[in-house]
Amino acid sequence: MVTVVGLAIIVAAQEEDAPVVAALAPRAETLLVARCTVCHSEDLITQQRLPRPRWKATVEKMKQWGAEISQDEADLLVRYLSARFHPGAPDRLASLGHQVGAEELLKEESRPDGPVVGLATRGAGVFQHNCQACHGAGAGGGIGPKLAKSPILKHEDAFWETVLHGRGSMPAWGTVLSHQDIADIHAWLLTR
Amino acid sequence: MTAEQEQKVSRRSLLKRVAGLVAGALLNQRLAAAATDEDKTGSRGKDPLMVRVTRPFDAETPVREFASFLTPNDRFFVRSHFGPPAPEQVSEANWQLHLGGLVERALTLRLQDLRRMEAVTITAVLQCSGNGRAFHRPKTPGVQWERGAVGNAQWTGVRLRDVLAQAGVRPEARHVQFQGADRPVVSSVPLFTRSIPLEKALHPDTILAYGMNGRPLPLLHGAPLRVITPGWMAESCTKWVTEITVQAEESKGYYMQTAYRVPTSPVELGSSVMVPVEAMVVKSLIAGPTEGEIVKAGPISIHGVAWSNGAKISAVEVSTDDGKSWATARLAGEDHPYAWRQWQHVWTARNPGTFAILCRATDVHGVTQPATSPWNPGGFLWNGYDRVAVAVRR
Repeated sequence: MVTVVGLAIIVAAQEEDAPVVAALAPRAETLLVARCTVCHSEDLITQQRLPRPRWKATVEKMKQWGAEISQDEADLLVRYLSARFHPGAPDRLASLGHQVGAEELLKEESRPDGPVVGLATRGAGVFQHNCQACHGAGAGGGIGPKLAKSPILKHEDAFWETVLHGRGSMPAWGTVLSHQDIADIHAWLLTR
Repeated sequence: MTAEQEQKVSRRSLLKRVAGLVAGALLNQRLAAAATDEDKTGSRGKDPLMVRVTRPFDAETPVREFASFLTPNDRFFVRSHFGPPAPEQVSEANWQLHLGGLVERALTLRLQDLRRMEAVTITAVLQCSGNGRAFHRPKTPGVQWERGAVGNAQWTGVRLRDVLAQAGVRPEARHVQFQGADRPVVSSVPLFTRSIPLEKALHPDTILAYGMNGRPLPLLHGAPLRVITPGWMAESCTKWVTEITVQAEESKGYYMQTAYRVPTSPVELGSSVMVPVEAMVVKSLIAGPTEGEIVKAGPISIHGVAWSNGAKISAVEVSTDDGKSWATARLAGEDHPYAWRQWQHVWTARNPGTFAILCRATDVHGVTQPATSPWNPGGFLWNGYDRVAVAVRR
């Protein structure tokens, strides 16, 4: 985690609203992955260079369309996006912090220290909130693969790695979901 | 004609058409490429497309590809709001086209029904309304397309009006709505529902296409059936069509009433009447030399393509001195109403240095491509002069 924050600060320091970006980045980037990349990859966001009113309009539109963000979270996103991706920002910016250091995270933090016991009843809700948009109601599949009775459930290493670090078009969830969340989702999926 | 014969014929015509401007080794290379053209993506050459958005997949064609008259299927720009539907949903066995609304008889058609109808082939430019959005200032939201969200292909299918005639259009009909099989990830996001005025729908050149460059329409381009409205921008060319509804009004919803609209006069957001984007605007692109290319002093071939809203291109001009003087390019190759026209100008570069090459087209109505397009809040319809910087060396 130290690597991620450190890099975000270095990147931010080159930009106009560096302190704002640095302060907001961890929460904002987590929200971007968790709530925005459900429908579209983050490259669509990072290529924009918009003034605050247009970022506000965009975030409001997405909220109306079903992005699961509270008003507080929407305000935070508008502040972060308009501080980082403003019309004067350089064409090329470093990618969002959460993409950096995935390998280190994998080695050092990918698995819980001790066994985490998943709670299927809690997992149902976590799944619905975070995974269902792509993997379908009841984990029956959608734009993402069907997970009910999927062989990956029996290969816990592969399951954890995919959830934490993403694979193909699936975003990494390592900065969004806690280990308990992931264990709960896994436990619930086994009941499907 | 069997599918195999059709394929051979189309390859032959593709070969013929590709042979336009570029001579020598480059031509041979392109011919070889065209001869093996299939729907596979990314199997040949490097960087067949420049990806703008990973998911849903949006990608543009590198402009060097526009040295060919026809843009190969696997190098044709890709744009959709939600990505393609699951392949089995639009497979020939499962796919159906429902036609209803203000008609005498609602119809359900399968692909074989359409194939039994008279087939027409039209060569037409397909262009995203946001092509060139990245050049608008102030910047506007949306996919930041540069120059390559456009292509020229042969579209084969049936006339929309022949299909509408089978159902019988009622007198109160004014618009025809298209719904594709693509769906958003989250059901609260509005569907991509679009309509075109009845007049455009009944135009003999407006077709429902199941073929692209002599091949079955690829999934990314709308398989098994998409709308082609020649001369109009691509948001009218709905992909993966499953429902056609004849109605009295324009489609409701975000993608018709809010998005894809431009002000009737070039002014700020909210202070003008907004109308749907429809026809294309006169435009030209430089396919070669490419941006940043190092060329040898002496005769240099500057070539590219130009098109308008279906009106013929009457002239393309090229400047190598930042617009102080313009030379008229030679129009070349095939001449079809909705296709782009290839052009070439041989520039004799005498001195080394860095040069900006500009081009601008004029159509038969006397409309000339402007230096910079009028700004609009959606960043649509960019058609400013195309510009390529090259370094001339001894």
